Amino acid sequence: MKRRARKIRFLKGLGIVFTVITFMLLYVPILLILVLSVNNSTRSYGWEGFTFKWYLTLFQDDIMRDPIMNTVSIALLSTVIATILGTIFAIGIHSLEKKHRIRMVLMNNIPIVNPDIVTGISLMIIFSILSLTLGYFTVLIGHIFFSIPYVILNILPKLKRLDANLYEAGLDLGCSRFGGIWRVILPNISTGIIAGALMAFTMSIDDFVITYFISGNEYMNVSTWLYAKLAREGRTSFTPVAYAYNTIIFILTLFIIIFINRKNEKKGRTT
Amino acid sequence: MKRLRFLSIPYWVWMALFVLVPTLILIILAFSDLNIYNPGSFRFSFINFRIFSESYLLKALQNSLSLSLVTTLICFLIGYPVAYYLTTLSASVRRIWLSLLIVPLWANMLLRIFAWEKIFTPGSIFSDLTGIEIDLLGTVPGVIVGMVGMYLPFMIFPIFSVLEKMDPSLIEAAKDLGASDVNVFRKVVFPLSIGGVVSGVIMTMLPAMTSFVLPARIGLGRINLIGNIIESKFMKEVMGSGALSINVGSLISLLLMIFSVISFIIVTRFDKEGETLI
Repeated sequence: MKRRARKIRFLKGLGIVFTVITFMLLYVPILLILVLSVNNSTRSYGWEGFTFKWYLTLFQDDIMRDPIMNTVSIALLSTVIATILGTIFAIGIHSLEKKHRIRMVLMNNIPIVNPDIVTGISLMIIFSILSLTLGYFTVLIGHIFFSIPYVILNILPKLKRLDANLYEAGLDLGCSRFGGIWRVILPNISTGIIAGALMAFTMSIDDFVITYFISGNEYMNVSTWLYAKLAREGRTSFTPVAYAYNTIIFILTLFIIIFINRKNEKKGRTT
Repeated sequence: MKRLRFLSIPYWVWMALFVLVPTLILIILAFSDLNIYNPGSFRFSFINFRIFSESYLLKALQNSLSLSLVTTLICFLIGYPVAYYLTTLSASVRRIWLSLLIVPLWANMLLRIFAWEKIFTPGSIFSDLTGIEIDLLGTVPGVIVGMVGMYLPFMIFPIFSVLEKMDPSLIEAAKDLGASDVNVFRKVVFPLSIGGVVSGVIMTMLPAMTSFVLPARIGLGRINLIGNIIESKFMKEVMGSGALSINVGSLISLLLMIFSVISFIIVTRFDKEGETLI
């Protein structure tokens, strides 16, 4: 009886019903994309039989090669750079006095709360003032910019749990300032760094709005490529190859999540 | 670790360059006839304010406010019980459900919108497969359902993260003292979760208010939000007639920034460390 009394029954009941609705709202579109990726029809008005040919086309043809390469290369590069910079900044922020630290964290949250369209426009404006040609480089900077705050937010709680004396002890035992970071701090915050990097990567690979405003006419990632197809060419359907691409990315992220969950569970058991 | 403080200095510089400077330029653009692509002399003026007499802008502002409010309200009503239900599950089951809520966000946003377009079109592959005909393309309810489908997880996560940290014995204590379920919720659980609710409301409302692809596609261009106007001013009209379209766009963006600054102040009231934001 006691155990059951801990729960608010009406809220739990509503919760079960709404969880079903939530999953339908989230997964019906996803399943539809999945179906379209194996539908033997270019115009996707109806179901015309099962096929894997769009997946083969994705790898053999170069219809989408450039946008995919652009997306992946920006995602990898921006993740690496944003993770390194974010880690350095997070250590710096954590070392500040409380008052300054809170101020820094507030500043760090600005790009997270800001709507993407505002971030996109702000970046577009600063790039035009600096006379930078919009393209690969500006997109890279933009992605690094919107990723760093997430990396920092993932690392700060890990730093909070780290005993500051450990670092001092490292220095006393002969580590240099940076040697101490490398040997004492980094190993202790590595889970936060990895979580931050994964978050940065998934944000970058899926970004549309910010990239749209800072990519100019030449550079296209998958999202802006799809948008151009819809908006400029007035299409009512994509090439099914796009659905195949999306399904592959989707399954890949699913595996990453399962992998992280497994790891967390193992850790939970041993500690 | 005090001697590592200097590592935070470059971040100040970086943020000043990409947040502060563009905001200042945006303000100058909004209140002048400065040409961003050919910066030279410019005059401060209120010439861009003429846009506020245009009925299409007023309509878009009104749409943005009303649609994002309705979307946020629905997301809250659905999201709160879902977040609560998740906290009642065992840790391992909870993790699976949470992951399943995150995964759809990693599918391409444009394709998800496009899938909604298909679902709302009678005679599409969706009705072919399921036998269900939904005709919501170009309507306000269609846009709202699409937005709820897009932004609902952003309401659930912050609420979940505060509810998860709440001590369950509080509920038990309230019940032992004779409170009914409704009162436990009204007087104990809800007040303690307000920080998550605030983050959730803002993380849902701001994206909904500023979305432009979704209203353009599902609304068939009939339902314009403020994001559609900004997109048009910055990306489309520049090539055509409007020399000052960027300045007008900046003015409208400034309006949006005021919203996000207010939201920002409210969020930080409740959550100084930004813990509910990830």
